[in-house]
Amino acid sequence: MELIWYVLLGLFFGTYLVLGGYDYGVGLSLARNADPGRRRAALNAVGPFFLGNEVWLVAAVGILFGAFPVLEGELLSGFYPAVLGALAGVILVTAGVQLRSRPAHERVRARWDRVVVVGSALAALGWGALLAGLLQGVPRDTDGHVVGLTHLVTPFAATAGLAMVALVAAHGATFLTLRLPADDAARTGRLARRLLPVALAAIGVATVVGLLSERVRATAQQPLAGVLLPVLLVAALVVARAALTRGRAGVAFTATAVALALPVALVGATLWPYVLVSTTDPGASLTVADAAASAPTLRLLGWLAMPLLPALLGFQLMCWWVFRGRTDGRAPVYW
Amino acid sequence: MDTLLLARLQFATTTSIHFLFVIVTLGLVTLLVGLQTAWVITGKQKYERLTRFWGQLYVINYVLGIATGIVMEFQFGLNWSGLSRYVGNVFGAPLAIETLVAFFLESTFLGMWIFGWHRLRRGVHLALLWGVALTAYASAFWILVANSWLQNPVGYEVRDGVAHLTDFPALLGNPTLTMAFGHVVSAALLVGGMLMAAVSAGHLIRRTPDHALHRTALRIGLVTAALSITLVQGFGFAQFGPVGAVQPTKFGGGDEAQAMIGEWTARFGPGDYTPPALASAGLGFMITIGLTLGALWLLVPLLWRDWIIRLRFPLWLLLLALPLPFVATILGWIAREVGRQPWVAYGLLPVDQAVSPVGAPVMLTSLIGFSLLLGTLAVTNWVLIARHAARGAQDPALGRPPGQSIHLRTEPAFT
Repeated sequence: MELIWYVLLGLFFGTYLVLGGYDYGVGLSLARNADPGRRRAALNAVGPFFLGNEVWLVAAVGILFGAFPVLEGELLSGFYPAVLGALAGVILVTAGVQLRSRPAHERVRARWDRVVVVGSALAALGWGALLAGLLQGVPRDTDGHVVGLTHLVTPFAATAGLAMVALVAAHGATFLTLRLPADDAARTGRLARRLLPVALAAIGVATVVGLLSERVRATAQQPLAGVLLPVLLVAALVVARAALTRGRAGVAFTATAVALALPVALVGATLWPYVLVSTTDPGASLTVADAAASAPTLRLLGWLAMPLLPALLGFQLMCWWVFRGRTDGRAPVYW
Repeated sequence: MDTLLLARLQFATTTSIHFLFVIVTLGLVTLLVGLQTAWVITGKQKYERLTRFWGQLYVINYVLGIATGIVMEFQFGLNWSGLSRYVGNVFGAPLAIETLVAFFLESTFLGMWIFGWHRLRRGVHLALLWGVALTAYASAFWILVANSWLQNPVGYEVRDGVAHLTDFPALLGNPTLTMAFGHVVSAALLVGGMLMAAVSAGHLIRRTPDHALHRTALRIGLVTAALSITLVQGFGFAQFGPVGAVQPTKFGGGDEAQAMIGEWTARFGPGDYTPPALASAGLGFMITIGLTLGALWLLVPLLWRDWIIRLRFPLWLLLLALPLPFVATILGWIAREVGRQPWVAYGLLPVDQAVSPVGAPVMLTSLIGFSLLLGTLAVTNWVLIARHAARGAQDPALGRPPGQSIHLRTEPAFT
C-alpha cells in the first residue's frame, strides 16, 4: 500500500516537473526575446495548459501530506531554503503569467515578463537543489528532526540546481518548437539545439560532482540505479538533440520530457528503501514504510482518491486533446 | 522574536490574504454559472457580455487565490512540521482529498474555460464552468473539514503519541463543520453579490455606457447579497450552540471553560489556556457588521421602477459598503482561529509543539519575504481588478474572438 502511494507521489511530482518544467522553460525563454509579440505568443502557446500544469505540484504535496505526513514535515522544513526559493518562484510565475497581459502598456508587460523569468529560474533552482539534497542525505538526529540548514550548501546542490535550470530551458524551447506556428518554430528549434548541449554539460558536471561527493556515495542505497539513471538522462538528451536536427519536434519533446521525469525516478530508486537518509546517525534514516501514514488513512485515501484518478487524468487528456497542434490565428489569446 | 510567534504571524498573514481572494472566487463563480447558463439558454447577448466582463474580473481574482493557496499548503510542512508529525494521519487526509478531488480538477477546468471560447461547443464550455463551480465548493468543503478537525478533533485515537484515524465519518459530521460551511458559503455569496452590486453601482453613478447591462448586474448582485446576508446571519448564530459545547474557552469564561482549563492543567501542566481577547473582539465586530448589512433588504424594494438608480444615494451606499463584508470575513476568521489558541488541534496539540524546529532568523526571513511578496501581489491584483471593473464591459480580453490572423509581429492587436 505504501509503495503504491510512493509511486503515485513520484508520478505526480515527476509529471509536475515535466509539465511545469516547460512552463518555466518558456518563462526563461522570455529573457532572450526582445519582441513583445513573440513573448506573448510563447506564453499563449502554454496558454490553456498552464493552470492544469501547476496543479500537479499541488496534488503532489497533497499526496505528500495525506499519505506521508512525517516525510512532509521533515522534507519541507529540513530543506527550508530550497523549498522557499522554489515556492517563491512558483508564485512569481503563477502571478506573472496570468497577470502580465492585463495592463495594456508594453513597458508594464515587459516588467511582468522579467518577473516570470526570475520566477522560472528560482523554481528550477529550488527543485534541483531539493532533489540533490535528498541524494546527499540530511543530518537527521534520533528524535527525528533535520538539524540546521547549511547541509544544503554543497557544490552538488548548486550544480544540480543549475542543471535543472538548463534542463527546463532546453525543455521549454523544445516545447515551443513543437507548439508555435511552423515559421516561428524554426527559431526556437535553433535555440533548443543550442540549449541541449548546455543542459548535457550541466547534467554531466552535476553527475561528476555527485559521484565525487563522499556524502552522496554514502547516501546511495542502490548505487546501480544511481549510475544507470543519469546515463539514461544523458541518452534522452542526446536523442532529443538528434530528433531536433531531423525536424522531429514531437520525438524531441518526448525525450526532454523523459529527461525531466528521470531525476525523480533517480532519487526514488537510489534511496530505496529509504526516503530520507541520515548522514549523522544511520538509525535515524527514514524508510518509505515509516514515513507513510498509518493503514486506516491510506485505506481511506485509496477508497476516496484512487477511483477518481482516471477522471483526473481524463480531464487533463481532454485539455491536451482539445488544444492540440500548433497555435495559429484561431487560437485564443489571453495570457 | 521567537519562532512560534513568527510562524503564527506568517500563517495569519497568508491565510487572511488567501481568504480575501477565495471568498470572492467562490461567490463570483456561482453568479457566473447563473449568467452563463442564462446566456446558453436564452441566447441573449446581454448575458454573454456580462459573463465575459464578470468572468474576466473572476479570473484576475483567481490568480491570487492559487498563489496564496500554494503557499498555505507548503506552510504546513515548512513551519508546522509538528502538525504533520503528530496529527498528519488524520489532518492530512482531508487536505489530500481536497487537492486531488477538488483543486486539481478546478484548475484544469478553468484553464480550458478561459481558452475555450469560440473553440468549444457552448454546452461543453458551460459544463466546464459548472465543473469549476462544483469543484470550488468541494474544495471549500474539504478545507473546512480539515479546519473543523483542528477546532474539534474527532474520529481518532492516540497511540505512541501519534493520532491515528479511526472514524472518518465523524470528521464529516463534526459539529463545528456543518453550520460553519453554510456560514462561509453564504458569506462568499454575500461578498460576490455585493461586489457585483457595487461595481455596477459605480458604473451607474458615472453614467457610463451599457446602462442596461449594469442595471441587470446591479439587480442580480443586490438580490443575491440580500438573500445571503440572511443566510449568513442564520448560519452564524446557529454556530453558537455547537461551538460552545465543544470549545467552551473560545469566546470567554463560564463554568464549562473553567472546568476545561482545569482538565487541561491536570493533563498538560499549568499554562495560559484562555485565547487572546482578540477572538471575542473579532466576533463582536463581525456580528455588528453582519447585523448592519441586514439593511441590504431596505434597498431591495427600491428595485421597483429603478428607484434605486433614480435616487442615486442608494448606489453610493452600495459602493461605500463594499469593504464591510471583506472586513467581516477577516474578523470571522480571526474569531474562529484565534479562539482556538493556544492549540493547533483543540485540546490535543499545543501550538508550541507543532512549530518546526527552525531558527528565528530563517522564520523571520520567510515571514518578511512572503508577506512582502503576497502583499504586493494582492495590492497589484486589486488595482488590476479595480481598473478592469472601471473600464466596463467593452471588449474584455476574456472571450474575445480571435483575430482573422494573429501575426506575431503586429502587437496592437493584443491590447
